[in-house]
Amino acid sequence: MTKHFSSFAMRAAAGSAAVMLVLSLLGSGWGWWRAEAALRQQLDLAIAAEAEGFLREYEEFGLRGLAATVEAYSRRRGPIYVALLSPDGRPMAGGLPDAPPALRGFAILPGSGDRPSLRVLGGTLPGGARLLVAADLTPVDRAASALAWTPPIAGGAAALLALLLGFIAAARMERRLAGATSAARGVMEGDLTRRLPLSGRNDEFDRLTETFNALLGRIEALMIAQRQVTDDIAHDLRSPLSRLRQLLEGALAHPRDPVSDTDMLERAITELDAVLAAFAALLRIARAESGVLRQDFSRVDLSALVETCAEIYAPVAEEAGHTLRTEIAPGITLPGDEALLRQAVMNLIENAVLHGGPNIALRLRNGPAIEVEDDGPGIPVEEREAVIRRFHRLDRSRSTPGTGLGLALVAAAARAHGGALTLQSGPGGTGLKAMLTLNAGVL
Amino acid sequence: MRILLIEDDESTAGYIAKGLREEGHVVDHANNGRDGLFLAMGEPFDVIVTDRMLPGPDGLSIIRALRLAQITTPVLVLTSLGEVEKRVEGLEAGADDYLAKPFAFAELRARIRALARRPSGPPAEQSVLSLADLRMDLLQRVAIRGARKLDLLPTEWRLLEYLMRHAGQVITRTMLLEKVWDFSFDPTTNVVDVHVSRLRRKLDLPGEPPMIRTVRGAGYALSTPDGVEEV
Repeated sequence: MTKHFSSFAMRAAAGSAAVMLVLSLLGSGWGWWRAEAALRQQLDLAIAAEAEGFLREYEEFGLRGLAATVEAYSRRRGPIYVALLSPDGRPMAGGLPDAPPALRGFAILPGSGDRPSLRVLGGTLPGGARLLVAADLTPVDRAASALAWTPPIAGGAAALLALLLGFIAAARMERRLAGATSAARGVMEGDLTRRLPLSGRNDEFDRLTETFNALLGRIEALMIAQRQVTDDIAHDLRSPLSRLRQLLEGALAHPRDPVSDTDMLERAITELDAVLAAFAALLRIARAESGVLRQDFSRVDLSALVETCAEIYAPVAEEAGHTLRTEIAPGITLPGDEALLRQAVMNLIENAVLHGGPNIALRLRNGPAIEVEDDGPGIPVEEREAVIRRFHRLDRSRSTPGTGLGLALVAAAARAHGGALTLQSGPGGTGLKAMLTLNAGVL
Repeated sequence: MRILLIEDDESTAGYIAKGLREEGHVVDHANNGRDGLFLAMGEPFDVIVTDRMLPGPDGLSIIRALRLAQITTPVLVLTSLGEVEKRVEGLEAGADDYLAKPFAFAELRARIRALARRPSGPPAEQSVLSLADLRMDLLQRVAIRGARKLDLLPTEWRLLEYLMRHAGQVITRTMLLEKVWDFSFDPTTNVVDVHVSRLRRKLDLPGEPPMIRTVRGAGYALSTPDGVEEV
């Protein structure tokens, strides 16, 4: 209960309730004033009409006739009082609840005790006698008060309702946010797969929640990528390092000999260089996957880039007994990281040169998509997904040079550019077709 | 040559200084950015080799300070951050070359030599390069050895131009990859060797004295056919 008072919805409801109360009180005062004025005007008209009647009586029947009428009227005890006074101030007929004042025109006689307040119209007749017509003001006050009470009652009810609604809204908001809070705590405690619950109403809370979930997804991807790199380093760099250690230990156990020592040291450096190359490739992949490159993307002329790669690798392919044919669509550009894209294309070509068949085709199509196709032994369907992962090498490729990270880097580069790397069989079901799709609208 | 080495890691500094002294260079060593900058501003050096991350002002700040003071001594930046964008950042700050740790000493040696022999004027002013009976006309895009016109592909042309500009020096494979092809990574295939051997087949016909030498464990060098190496 107390926590609801520190809720935003509750504060908003309380604020609006207070405003409503103040407004209704102001409205009430104004309403009373207006109602009282209108009713008194009505009363004045009624008093004036009665006085009008008495004056006609006087004009027709004289002072005596008027006195008789006044006497008869007073005896009826209606809401209107009337009094006729002689010129010296003595009452001649009728009477008021209070001592009749000497006045001309309208006035209010304030009441006291059980005597009511009166509205009085006084005037002097041609003979010097005075006529007073009065009415009780109590009903006017009562009616004005009754009208004036309406706004504060309605306002109070509205304020109470606002408080109630605010309380309900605060409770519901509290419930919805409690789900989000507990999910966020779960993530903080290490359960990176947790996501904030959506209500399905697609309101502003859901929109905020979706944004937060996207953020959590990004964090999870980064954490997984980082954990993956750590695991890879632990598992796959350990074996070359152990080989290196054995090599050095073995050499140390033998007597010193300049020729075999030199040979051993050279082998050690080669082994170490391979570790360093794998390490550099891993860091590159991690960088590409972290998405930090995206903020430095600039427009890359993909057609020129692929053309240059083809020019550099055509002789390399030829020396290795392959032919590299190209079909490059001109004028394709996209926002991207030029160095990463270049390395991705070169890795695909090198992959084909090192593991593929004699005919290699390099294509750049609109999309943009880069394809490298060869008619070599290909990759078995069940291993296609695995070779994209880090350090996975086919058994038959263990003797060829490479870190086992080439295609992993291509896949990371594709993802950094909003695309993907897919491996398929070449035309006729043989060979390998590697397709790198990029998303031109990634920026 | 007199070389200033700014490196805070004692072991790396000792390894580099020892190697360079064995080559016959005079090496001054500073183990922090402040001393390094002080030495670089006050004394004449042929080449400055600086680590990028240093206590005191870092390598890039030192280069900026030197360039502001109109000191044009060539600077080679060493870094463990071998990423390509870091290299671009370093070159933009005014560094002349960039080398990622760990490196082979041969690589450092080749790069220091290439820096020290840089022509003082901008290279674009030269329109004709020549070495012995080899001539490259950069404007006409014609290369001639003796009386024979060489028919070079664009890649071979860029490769020969780079070797000509650094005639007599040992150029490593990594240097060629970086400067000729703008590679920031080591390819698995022997890209450099293939292109060099193709160029060599066009440049050095059987019977002609060879100009492109393979330097074992280091790289290649283009030199006059009589084999006299300029050091």
